[in-house]
Amino acid sequence: MNRTFLTAALTGFLTLGGASASTTYPLTLKDDLGRTVTVKAEPKRIVSMLPSTSETLCAIGACEKLVGVDAYSDYPQQVTKLPKMGGLYDPNIEAIIAQKPDLVLVSQYGKLEGPLTQAGLTVVAVNPETYDEVFSKTLTLGRVVNREAQARALVTRMKSDIARVEILTRNVVRKPTAYLEIDPTPYSVGPNSFMGVLLTKAGARNIIPASMGDFPKVDPEFIVKANPQLILGVDAKTAGARPGWNSIGALKTGRVVSIPDELNTMLGRPGPRLSLALRGLAKLIHPELFK
Amino acid sequence: MSVVTHERRSAARTALLPLKTAGLLVLLLSAVVLGTGLGSVNVPPGEVLGALWRGLTGQTLAGNDVIVWQIRLPRVVMGVLVGASLSVCGGAFQGVFRNPLADPYLLGVASGSALGATIAIVAGWPRALIPVTALLLALGAVTCTLLLAREGRRFPPNRLILAGVVVGSVLSAATTALILRGEDRARQVLAYTLGDLGFSGWPDVLTVLPYAALGGGALLLLARALDTLQLGELTARSLGVPVERLRLITVVAASVATAGAVAYVGVIGFVGLIVPHVVRLLFGPGHRTLLPLSALLGGALLVYADLLARTTPLSQVGIVTTLLGGPFFLWLLRRESHG
Repeated sequence: MNRTFLTAALTGFLTLGGASASTTYPLTLKDDLGRTVTVKAEPKRIVSMLPSTSETLCAIGACEKLVGVDAYSDYPQQVTKLPKMGGLYDPNIEAIIAQKPDLVLVSQYGKLEGPLTQAGLTVVAVNPETYDEVFSKTLTLGRVVNREAQARALVTRMKSDIARVEILTRNVVRKPTAYLEIDPTPYSVGPNSFMGVLLTKAGARNIIPASMGDFPKVDPEFIVKANPQLILGVDAKTAGARPGWNSIGALKTGRVVSIPDELNTMLGRPGPRLSLALRGLAKLIHPELFK
Repeated sequence: MSVVTHERRSAARTALLPLKTAGLLVLLLSAVVLGTGLGSVNVPPGEVLGALWRGLTGQTLAGNDVIVWQIRLPRVVMGVLVGASLSVCGGAFQGVFRNPLADPYLLGVASGSALGATIAIVAGWPRALIPVTALLLALGAVTCTLLLAREGRRFPPNRLILAGVVVGSVLSAATTALILRGEDRARQVLAYTLGDLGFSGWPDVLTVLPYAALGGGALLLLARALDTLQLGELTARSLGVPVERLRLITVVAASVATAGAVAYVGVIGFVGLIVPHVVRLLFGPGHRTLLPLSALLGGALLVYADLLARTTPLSQVGIVTTLLGGPFFLWLLRRESHG
């Protein structure tokens, strides 16, 4: 699905010839909720209800268009000063309408589009979920806010940054088997999820097979059996207190690493700091490469 | 159903009691055996027995021993403890309130413990503190319910139930508000409120054991008095049963056992409500058989439910008990009414 999207986006650029790519309005597109939306003119007052969207808009030079963000948008510094519109589960719809936005960018979760559309606002759902979608949705956003050239430059820059890390990790002799915990219930990530792709690119071998899905709840005995050489996302004390975990290789060799808060935010955010997140993760897994 | 057949049926039930008890014991044993032998990792039966032997004799654990001895067996034992506690408490509550819809969470234990766990989770306190706060608030919630329901020195059943509902609602609202504040930890809270036996180790089992033993044991001792209470409050009084004290002791004992059960594994629904009914349908209503047999059946059922949870995408024991418990119970009821 996203592959077709990507090719569609690419052919779009080829036909535009890559010259001064300015968007022609009215622009009609299919958003991530499968709705057909028409953006009448270049948006000047945007409310972003997704942290990754806020980051992307700022990274493609549309930061000054933002007039409101969700409670979790905290990067770059500029967006922290903007009025807050609540979170995914408790959005402040009245505050959003009061900003008189000409475009509201929402996530595909949270059912915001209904009441906002009824209030006469233009709503587009953009929700990158896979690794490839991070790039394709960046281009989509660029097209919607008339920053296509900047979006393409950003994608190129991100891809070359990622390639730089991959060159380092690709030829590493020892790729540790790793378990990445995203929630202590415990939940982990499958190799096809956006975070799973980063884990692999950072030079680790994920113990979770693709058959378990993208964000599986894992049976603790499976982790003990898989005996990973590296555990990420848990602190050593917590891991050691879990029944049977002291027998895991990672605990014996002391390779249990909790992920620093900022890196954790970047890892969970499919936006322009993807390459930074990958670099941070690679540093945790292969500190020897970054000396 | 005529009186005669009813007489004959209950006579037949009593006659078959030892046999049926043996049946339940076998069910519990098979649950423990299968629960310890099966899981997401395959361990051959011989190796399971070897692991148990090495664990019991304190030898060094090798290979899959760790999985069997340190992960699966404590998880199974925890399942038995929690299932038995919830079922005995459910049976005792249904008896003392003479209300078939009563369950162990009736007086606000569940919402109290859920709030306690949520506070610990959202504040990001270490995992070891979660059961502590859950336990404290569970007991606190019951205390509130008792204080609200008190009329002088009496605890009228209706007031207890109403007070339980009120306390439960208030605490649930507080929990929801907290979850909205700490959205990124919502998944953990949700897991707790759905009940999960993951990460139960021997230390956890040893912590829950005294609560289950004290609370459950006290309830078993009250069985005869509960039987008398079924004849009506007046009759029970004239037969010398201290009704008020019985009610208070039952509520306190059941709350202690339930709070212990809930502290580590969260709120597992349905078991405490359904198991006593199943036992009543199969073995008759006398509390002296109802309570111990509910413990056996509840323990077995929860271990089987957790086995399903571990090996299928249903993923959490509380989901299994509710999804499968409901239809099964309805089927049993239908069968009984046609029988």
